[in-house]
Amino acid sequence: MASPRRAAVVGANRIPFARSNGAYARASNSDMLTAALDGLVARFGLADERVGEVVAGAVLKHSRDFNLTREAVLASRLSPWTPTYDVQQACGTGLEAAVLIANKIALGQVESGIAGGVDTTSDAPIAVNEDLREVLLAANRAKSTAGVVKALAGLRPGQIVPEIPANREPGTGMSMGEHTAITAAHWAISRTAQDELTALSHQNLAKAYDAGFFDDLMTPYLGLTKDNNLRADSSVEKLGKLKPVFFPAGADKAEATMTAGNSTPLTDGAATVLLASDEWAAERGLPVLAHVVDAETAAVDYVHGDEGLLMAPAYAVPRMLERNGLTLQDFDFYEIHEAFASTVLATLAAWESPQFCKERLGLDAPLGSIDRGKLNVHGSSLAAGHPFAATGARIVPTLAKILHENGGGRGLISICAAGGQGVVAILEA
Amino acid sequence: MATETLDAPPTLGALYGRALLTARSGGDTLPDRTLELAGTTIDADAVADYAHVCGFRVGGDVPLTYPHMLAFPLQMRLMTDREFPLPAPGMVHLRNVISQRRALEVGEPLTLRVHAERLVSHPKGAQVDLVANVSTPDGEDTWHSRSTYFVRGAQADDAAEPAPPEPAPVVGDRPHAVWKVPGDIGRRYAAVSGDVNPIHINSLAAKAFGMPGTIAHGMWSKARVLAALSGRYGPASTVDAVFRAPLRTPSTALLYTAAAKDGWDAALRSSKGKDHLLLTIRPSS
Repeated sequence: MASPRRAAVVGANRIPFARSNGAYARASNSDMLTAALDGLVARFGLADERVGEVVAGAVLKHSRDFNLTREAVLASRLSPWTPTYDVQQACGTGLEAAVLIANKIALGQVESGIAGGVDTTSDAPIAVNEDLREVLLAANRAKSTAGVVKALAGLRPGQIVPEIPANREPGTGMSMGEHTAITAAHWAISRTAQDELTALSHQNLAKAYDAGFFDDLMTPYLGLTKDNNLRADSSVEKLGKLKPVFFPAGADKAEATMTAGNSTPLTDGAATVLLASDEWAAERGLPVLAHVVDAETAAVDYVHGDEGLLMAPAYAVPRMLERNGLTLQDFDFYEIHEAFASTVLATLAAWESPQFCKERLGLDAPLGSIDRGKLNVHGSSLAAGHPFAATGARIVPTLAKILHENGGGRGLISICAAGGQGVVAILEA
Repeated sequence: MATETLDAPPTLGALYGRALLTARSGGDTLPDRTLELAGTTIDADAVADYAHVCGFRVGGDVPLTYPHMLAFPLQMRLMTDREFPLPAPGMVHLRNVISQRRALEVGEPLTLRVHAERLVSHPKGAQVDLVANVSTPDGEDTWHSRSTYFVRGAQADDAAEPAPPEPAPVVGDRPHAVWKVPGDIGRRYAAVSGDVNPIHINSLAAKAFGMPGTIAHGMWSKARVLAALSGRYGPASTVDAVFRAPLRTPSTALLYTAAAKDGWDAALRSSKGKDHLLLTIRPSS
């Protein structure tokens, strides 16, 4: 399926990612997104420019931040006449934002746009206790003083306890880690395999920093110049000493394989990526790193349907491959978001499984295996960290630059998201 | 069976007081009468309160379990009579089967009828069925419920015919949800249902009735499981639930679900694997 024209990935800027309650503990989503935007503006000379659109989002959002992206643009050096909107698709937010802009560019509705994402788990919104909220809302609805007094008579000391957001699925009460522990056990993903993937992610990211790969993709923020979750000396031996932290519900604890090492930590950070038509980039003498070829989303019934919470990309990729007449092996690079090491390994195992591919995907033959040497070659979320909405806007320019430096090629992006969703895309250079 | 017509729903607090304070004569046979309350309606605010406590969506169909809120006071009125053969305080809910033809609507005039039947022996005491019907003024039977209650140590004759087979849900070995059952869920459910049975609210009282501590209302756990399966079954359904080991509050419970050929199966278990609730949802015949 040929699109009218393909949107170009021009470049990007992000701030280093920081482990929760650390370097960015005092920064808000709005602060971080503005910082990332301003770095992008400086890098590409966009001060006072009106780009077609800025589309970004955050997963954990204060209600006052209903127009998060618009407020960030107003605070940035971009033209205040730049329109924006917020999107939220859990961990797929950043990639979905890029897809939305790429589609508008493809249709000629805009010539340029900035996609982004930001999240903080340090400056998280705290909600009042549900009982207190009901009392306060009832008081607010009351039309007379007596009515207000009557409603407030429902106040109790226990209602002071606030509600702090947790990455729990509302439908199942299980955290993402607990869900993934079930998936890991189902696919018999070994502890060693998870630790190997994790160590490699750290080593690859460290090498990329050493080679200066991120020099034109990042600007320092609040004293950080690189992701502070990165452990360049990470090894399978060191990771092997960590105790499991996520357990498959209702099962033997001996099945547990997931540790704080082979799971992404809670992270603060922001990322942005500049997309444009080839003409827009050429007019400004800006590079084209790669083009967005196609994208696909999928969702799975992880609640009652016996599919893993983070397995939607396993369904999205084959649909996108079929539409583009490609096989899983027709790629030079793969960027599979490392929500957990076991997520990447379970997805690969599913594509290799004849039973899964037949029963779940309806395919005659399995998608097969990939050359692991082409996977997450400059590290991914296990090493960099994972500020939920920002990850897609980290991965898109990373892959685009890898393809560009390679002198061309095709790359696959796969991102799993809360709610049993997945966003995947193809880039070509 | 004679019909006694009520003008207004009985007040549950007073009934419990009566049950606890009045000397019972405790006859051998069930009251041979049906209680009837005509012209009652379902209130939107009350349904919203109920939905918040049980996890249902506000503004959808009236939950299939909700009419039990209307029928329960009538059941209590029957069961707290001096002559009722079993004592109401400390009664344990063993099973509840609800069959609905269609979802009831907020505000529509409804007639409730409640009677007791099947007082029979149980290996550890005696049990009785409280049967409730909801119909419309033109006689359309829309909702039917049978609740089986058990009293430890009570006596009754053996059943003349065997009890209908219990639901036997078939579920896998991986839980689909992990619930933190709040310590105050008994108080909350009591507030919306009027079922202020002390075994759900006060741990001393619960222990006095032989419970390990406060336990969740069986009808709360049934409603909560149905809410978890929202959107997966139609309004014309029969939901059969048996209550096994009491669900302590607070505690952690694991929900297991599986699609059946023509409905859903579910089991709610303790974190140690003990069954609390076994439930099947099937289309109403």
